[in-house]
Amino acid sequence: MASIRLQAKPVLDVNIEIGGVRIRERDDLALVSVAGATSLDWLEMPTPTMSTEAGDMRAISIAQDQVMLIFQHRTPDAERVVRKRLNDGYTTDQTDVWVVLEVEGPYVRDGLERICPLDLHPEEFSIGSAARTVMEHMGAMIVRTGTDRFLLLSARSSAKSFLHAVETSFKNVA
Amino acid sequence: MTQDFRIDGGLIDRSRRVRFTWNGVDMFGHPGDTLASALLANGKRLVGRSFKYHRPRGIFSAGPEEPNALTQVGRGAAQEPNTRATVQELYDGLYATSQNHRGPLEFDLMSVTDLMAPFFGAGFYYKTFMWPAKLWEKLYEPAIRASAGLGRLSGLPDPDSYDHGYLHCDILIIGAGPAGLSAALAAGRAGARVILADEDFLFGGRLNAETYEVDGHAGATWATTATAELAAMPNVRIMPRTTAYGAFDHGIYGALERKTDHLPEARGKPRQVLWRIYSKRAILAAGATERGIAFGNNDRPGVMLSGAVRAYANRWGVAPGKKLAILTNNDDGWRTARDLKAKGVQIATIVDTRSDVAHTLDQTDIRTGTAIADVTGRKGVTGIVLESGYRIEADCLAVSGGWSPNVHLTCHQRGRPTWRDDIAAFVPGADLPTGMTIAGAANGAMTLAAALHEGHTKGAEIAADLGHSNAPGAPAKAEDEPFAITPFWHVTKSTKRAWVDLQNDVTTKDIKLSQQEGFHSVEHLKRYTTLGMATDQGKTSNVLGLAIMAEATGKTIAETGTTIFRPPYTPVPIGAFAGRARGKDFRPFRLTPSHDWATEQGATFVEAGMWLRAQWFARDGEKGWRDSVDREVEMTRNGVGICDVTTLGKIDVQGKDAAEFLNRVYANPFLKLPVGKVRYGLMLREDGIVYDDGTTARLSETHFVMTTTTANAVLVFRNLEFARQCLWPDLDVHLISTTDGWAQFAVAGPKSRALSSKVVDDLDLSNDGFPFMACAECTVFGGTPARLFRISFSGELAYEIAVPARFGDAMIRALMQVGEEFDAVPYGTEALSVMRIEKGHVAGNELTGQTTALMMGLDGMVSKKKDAIGTLMSRREEMVRDDGMRLVGLRPVDRSVNLNAGAHFLTKGDPADMAHDQGWMTSVAYSPELKHSIGLGYLKRGTERMGEIIHAYDPVRGKDTEVEVVSSHHIDPEGERQRG
Repeated sequence: MASIRLQAKPVLDVNIEIGGVRIRERDDLALVSVAGATSLDWLEMPTPTMSTEAGDMRAISIAQDQVMLIFQHRTPDAERVVRKRLNDGYTTDQTDVWVVLEVEGPYVRDGLERICPLDLHPEEFSIGSAARTVMEHMGAMIVRTGTDRFLLLSARSSAKSFLHAVETSFKNVA
Repeated sequence: MTQDFRIDGGLIDRSRRVRFTWNGVDMFGHPGDTLASALLANGKRLVGRSFKYHRPRGIFSAGPEEPNALTQVGRGAAQEPNTRATVQELYDGLYATSQNHRGPLEFDLMSVTDLMAPFFGAGFYYKTFMWPAKLWEKLYEPAIRASAGLGRLSGLPDPDSYDHGYLHCDILIIGAGPAGLSAALAAGRAGARVILADEDFLFGGRLNAETYEVDGHAGATWATTATAELAAMPNVRIMPRTTAYGAFDHGIYGALERKTDHLPEARGKPRQVLWRIYSKRAILAAGATERGIAFGNNDRPGVMLSGAVRAYANRWGVAPGKKLAILTNNDDGWRTARDLKAKGVQIATIVDTRSDVAHTLDQTDIRTGTAIADVTGRKGVTGIVLESGYRIEADCLAVSGGWSPNVHLTCHQRGRPTWRDDIAAFVPGADLPTGMTIAGAANGAMTLAAALHEGHTKGAEIAADLGHSNAPGAPAKAEDEPFAITPFWHVTKSTKRAWVDLQNDVTTKDIKLSQQEGFHSVEHLKRYTTLGMATDQGKTSNVLGLAIMAEATGKTIAETGTTIFRPPYTPVPIGAFAGRARGKDFRPFRLTPSHDWATEQGATFVEAGMWLRAQWFARDGEKGWRDSVDREVEMTRNGVGICDVTTLGKIDVQGKDAAEFLNRVYANPFLKLPVGKVRYGLMLREDGIVYDDGTTARLSETHFVMTTTTANAVLVFRNLEFARQCLWPDLDVHLISTTDGWAQFAVAGPKSRALSSKVVDDLDLSNDGFPFMACAECTVFGGTPARLFRISFSGELAYEIAVPARFGDAMIRALMQVGEEFDAVPYGTEALSVMRIEKGHVAGNELTGQTTALMMGLDGMVSKKKDAIGTLMSRREEMVRDDGMRLVGLRPVDRSVNLNAGAHFLTKGDPADMAHDQGWMTSVAYSPELKHSIGLGYLKRGTERMGEIIHAYDPVRGKDTEVEVVSSHHIDPEGERQRG
């Protein structure tokens, strides 16, 4: 069936502003987990609370002996790209396992304190900090990528519920 | 209404009027008023009826401790019962009514119960409604419930929204009175992250209710200045209208913030926010609560706490009466007399129970060493009667029985307060919640200077201890006011009923009765008399009650002790606990990548855990779900069907030892599974019971993809992670879930090969090229990465094709488009279930957590050549009995009869009782292929009973069906279709 080609679809396709906070899906980011690697040639290994960054790639620690690489890459071959650069370790493409929301704005913490149990005070959760947590009953990861900017990751299948939770939080404080 | 009782002064904004309605009458107050202060200003003394005897009651206090003035606020769905008028801020349009009466408040028909009071003492209900027992549920309880009770719920869904939130700080300071403000100033200046929370809308605590000076300014002015300084500090968060209601583990506090309860409109925002506050330390500066004295008719409207009378006069500019009598056992009563006299209120008399009193007040009737025996006036005080019988006219009586530190939160982790004779009160004990410090009156520092000093010292000390070294500044200064008390609990010369707990109508007599009947322990006292129960939790009555019990038993108060205080400190609406978890937001939903497409097709969805799965796809003309399901099964079995199976758990297992790892977690062998092959695996619990099954594919020497059941995906992952980290840390194996990452579709039926061949790029799908249980990484539709598995749950020739989830929506549309040529049908979970029952595959109904591989006929899979989790325990004697349950198929002897799951099996001729139980029907379906109902079930010695006719006995549905025992593989027992 040569005529059919499958088109990728963002799970939420959202880019909205609520009370000065922008919420958008980052479907341009690829996620690849690397397990059992002792080191990465091009990037320092992250600690459980602090991510590392080199170029456009960020590494966050997600489990014992396992890190997640986040980088801009739109095609479904991200895992191969990473694997080629590794000396050891095992890779798994995680891009489609997660939905990635970026939230940014001066009042971003006011909304996040309604769903995120972690302390996001600028001094406690400095730029680059990353953590796994739970938001509105959904497993989540949070990474601080800028002064008032965070990446929120949660399961792709519950992406709509997750977005609803995030949107509600910002609406409630707007 | 005019505000006849409004006097000068107060912290209200007289330039503006706030209109409100009380029992249908329009009134007004001013910004800064509470409903209680506005009612008093409008001369409303009678505001409610009591719980049990429907006695007239008035406003008793000026704070959260209020036992009497419970009102219903709002209308319709938004109405809130049991709202304490003393803490409800006045707003424009506030609509409030009194509660707990039949007919008008002034002429409550139920007040007849008061005349029958001699029969209604403590324990009356327990003793009276014992027999006949069957009348309890139908007659007694409904009748009692109808006559008692406080406010009423609307019975409609709450139109307001609520939210939750999380806060973090170095120091949580609970209470913004003099001690709390001082502590916050010291800690905030030192640089600590501080949260200062107070239930009041105005910070200052008693400073707003008194006439003291702090640092040379009026106390209230100092509080305003201090609050402004704190508000300007970036490291301090001030939270008015926020009650810290509970102290939980590890410095976590629950707090309720009332966001819009003081506004006419919530404007779409949450009405209240329930905060979880994570603190490194906490300072409890919750102050103290005044208590009364028990004497005859001390519950009459107009009898109030002395400190409350002062608060209404000083903070709200309201005189609760025009002719004030005072009864006190401590210096506090005198302060009320002085403040009110200075405001021009006539002081009828001061009665001090102490004989030796140093205070005097010019031109005032003063009586010492005596008490009040009775109060006249039914719906409002008209006078007081001394122990001597002498009557003095008055329209308000201020009573001070001493102050009780608010120790509640110190006891939330079972700490017990200790008694201090010098202040006649309980103070926090030594056993405090982790990280908690107490300051001010809550700690027994009962004077203003002491509270300011203690707050400052503790705030500074804790901040320094946490490493914040900026200068905390100097503590605020104030004079130490006199504070002396000689305990006096109740007037024994009273012949009238003397009230201890106003909210629960508990009298001194009830407490004595409790003692006489053997309920000596305070916990028994509470439950026998209801002392200290309900919305106020006995804030004004507990100490008084147990003092009277102590007296009756001849023990000291310290020996008598208190009941345990539990959260919440004040009532928290259930809606606030629920937060956003209501209706469809009760829990998250998981949607498959084909969800939008399935919705367009008119699919009916079913909840599978949090997943929504298409259950069937109805077509025009179909009369019910059976029509749709039968069609989906038939079209799949005769052609090809497509089902979204994304919800199955998927776990990436990688590492040099991945095969060894799987070999240890699955009961059957996995070590030698070739690359490019899939194997069905059975997982046992450590006790040998089967807990999950699924297929695992080997993609490379070091890479496996495991699938689990939808329900157990998380459990299996957790158990694997435990095994990896704790049981065999030496193995090189790594796990990560990929459940959501792949959109996976089953393509099943005799035409599935033809269809799949048009989808998959460059792969030989012939039976030799890609046999049953083969797998491959491939591409579909000209280059999209995919995985192909030749596995079958339906028993047909079948494939499962997975693509990255982002392509899932495109994939289902493309599959259906390609499938048109083959008349492909989408099928849902119901058809899936029918086909697996026809095939005899086990699922959740058979994997109950009580069933073994042997019972399922899968004992051959439990390898005897290796050890795996559960293998050894699965061979225990009782689990391998020859006469145990075995999985069989069942079909009705009369083929027109439908079977029911849950029916129990009986051997023909046996009575229907547990002793003769032979097993049960686990799953049933109508088989479109066989044209009759079929079942699976566990039957004793089932494999030996093929062909036997037994009974499927179902008393729940009133059915008794003759069924024949057959193979569990109702169709294609040799598996020719799936291997073909």
